Amino acid sequence: MADRAEPGRLALNAPATRRTALRLLAGAGAAAGLGLTAGCASDDGRRTLRWWSPQAAPDQVKMYRAQIAAFEAGNPGVRVVFEPTSDEGYPAQLAAAFAAKQVPNLVTHLPSFTAQNYYARGLLEPVDDVARAIGEQRFFPGANDIYRTGDGTLCAVGIGNTAVDMFWYRKDLLQKAGLSAPPATWDELREACRRMQGGGVYGAALPYGMNGMTSLIFIGFIHRAGGQLFSPDLEVAIDSPATYDALEFFKSMREYCPAGASNFSWGESLTAFVSGATATGIYGGRVLANVAAQNPGIAGAISCTTYPTMSREIPAWTFNDFPCLFIPKGAPHLAETKAFAASLFAPPLYIDQLHAAPGHVLPTLQTIAADPAYLANPLIARYPAEIDLMTRTAAAGHNLGQETAKHRPNLKASEIISSNTIAELVQRVVLDGEAPRPAVAATAARLRELMRG
Amino acid sequence: MAEAALPGARLERRDALLGLALIAPTVLVLGAVIVYPLLSAIYLSLFSLYTPTLEGHWVGLANYRAVFGSSGFWSALATTAVWTVGTLTLQVLFGLAMALLLHQNILFRSLARSLVLFPYFLSTVVAVLVWRWLFNDLYGVVNHALMAAGIIDAPVSWLGTMPNAMLSIIVVGAWKFFPFVVIAILARLQTIPEALYEAARIDGAGPVSRFFDITLPQLRDVLTIVILLRTVWDFKEFDLIYLMTGGGPVNGTRTLPLIVYQQAFGLNQMGLAAAHAVAMMLVMLVFMLAYLRRAGGRVA
Repeated sequence: MADRAEPGRLALNAPATRRTALRLLAGAGAAAGLGLTAGCASDDGRRTLRWWSPQAAPDQVKMYRAQIAAFEAGNPGVRVVFEPTSDEGYPAQLAAAFAAKQVPNLVTHLPSFTAQNYYARGLLEPVDDVARAIGEQRFFPGANDIYRTGDGTLCAVGIGNTAVDMFWYRKDLLQKAGLSAPPATWDELREACRRMQGGGVYGAALPYGMNGMTSLIFIGFIHRAGGQLFSPDLEVAIDSPATYDALEFFKSMREYCPAGASNFSWGESLTAFVSGATATGIYGGRVLANVAAQNPGIAGAISCTTYPTMSREIPAWTFNDFPCLFIPKGAPHLAETKAFAASLFAPPLYIDQLHAAPGHVLPTLQTIAADPAYLANPLIARYPAEIDLMTRTAAAGHNLGQETAKHRPNLKASEIISSNTIAELVQRVVLDGEAPRPAVAATAARLRELMRG
Repeated sequence: MAEAALPGARLERRDALLGLALIAPTVLVLGAVIVYPLLSAIYLSLFSLYTPTLEGHWVGLANYRAVFGSSGFWSALATTAVWTVGTLTLQVLFGLAMALLLHQNILFRSLARSLVLFPYFLSTVVAVLVWRWLFNDLYGVVNHALMAAGIIDAPVSWLGTMPNAMLSIIVVGAWKFFPFVVIAILARLQTIPEALYEAARIDGAGPVSRFFDITLPQLRDVLTIVILLRTVWDFKEFDLIYLMTGGGPVNGTRTLPLIVYQQAFGLNQMGLAAAHAVAMMLVMLVFMLAYLRRAGGRVA
């Protein structure tokens, strides 16, 4: 009896009874609970801002951290946390965040149509004051027009431009195939691929997967055949000769693409060209950095131009996703968020951010594009013609959110891409060998349904 | 007598209250994590809802009419059934074979028993990344090995064409989940009395007879439970299929969970997604009832 613990106290040398174990468990549980609660509440008293972006390559994240550190140094009461998302995963993550009312403070590098879509649903803050804080005159003229909403406000600000579907080619392989210039039409492209294919190298890296890339890329081919998905008034216009031509072209190119192209998304398509497995590629400027880092042996032989069109009479159509910055409604600390958003455009760190993916995320600020510090980057200096072309074509580019300058903003673009309706059309015709007409008719019906929904 | 009975009744009431108090936390937790989400899903399925805001309007049973009236649902149900039956069959066969092997007195048995659990503990994302590289047509080991062996002339698209894509996910699913079958069967194998085998040997039974007449009947109960549980889990498998093929090519591997995900977060139609989920649950209910009946029978 002498060594029994007093009531309410635990003796270290007491024999372990079930009651003692339960007490210990309960105590540990309570302590853990308190600890968790304390962890949520305590922090270091700073206000936390959460920043999401799908552009999260290691070099880019490193530069984001430098921008965060600079902002935090000037705003000691604020802490910024960067959280990567992905091009294929952000719709789900944002939908869940909005539904749970746990939105990030800031989202960057998502396509313009995403911002328009969310703004139309009342889910975003207007960011006119962010544009003013950055300096509206510093942007390229009209750079933010695509983010202008029906009520005249800006739902987002352009943080960069990307010429997503440039035609990348190997000059050495072209020369070896007896071609003096890159192809300008689909017929020339097929012939070039036929000649360059062989010895373990495929002609092209077009995507045929059931994913967003296939949809986004194929829309470009409809335009390169002179067609469009929607009329300027957003009536479904996919059932046109141009779509059939684009499908036929895509089908004819299948034999020049690797077997795995049936499952290609952005990463696989990029890697196929960068690794030298394909003679041509379709991607943005990230090719430059990846070739320099992963396959420098071909760095002197690569170049890019706009993707060939069906005929020379049809002008080039470049897909620019207009990567933007927007602020979800309902996130706390709005003033700090806007200040941080504006700070992302401040040189020299904005230049460092662009240099993390040189040529891929192109500047929207004309003051930066002409800045010697920006132009001094080794890759930008090495490929001036390619960078210049991508900058010009991206600025004149379009996406499903606004297929041409005449089109009204398509607020359903996000859902159309997420539905994989276009990718499914490609797969049904190219992989399953279905007749194009019923497949296109079914796609048109599905698009109408999505526009109504 | 009445006075004598009173303390007994009070004690009984106290015991009953104590019982209620003890079971209350469990009921509360189960209510919060099972009943509430279940009722919420059924409730949501009666509305047309925009996912990010969860705003919408009452549509009654219209979502169910849309679900059961669409060919997409039935084709996805068939795909789900093919995937479930295919992967489950491989899991059971492979799991049974491996459990029998690990039950023998082999070298490094303990190490082998630990290593066999590896796929089950590996994160699905990591496992899928590895398998996607293995299946890659340009750099993957599978194509290289088959070409080196002269089985194929050119690389095969394992994930981009049918039926390759379905076969590939079935194999990867079997690889990922067969350790569960191994654990369950191995545990049961160790409890089969050795005397049964000795008696059979004395009666002249060979290895095949011993397996079919002793081992398999002894494993029947555990196999039934394992098959029922794995059927339910495989039927609702999402991440492995989504990451391997995204449901393609065309709709070749689009199972019901992928449709629920796409409706909820791709198309932002939470009500329709909930209706799909409830329909899926009804199918799974069949397996669940079979499991409960089996488990109840064993307890009895």
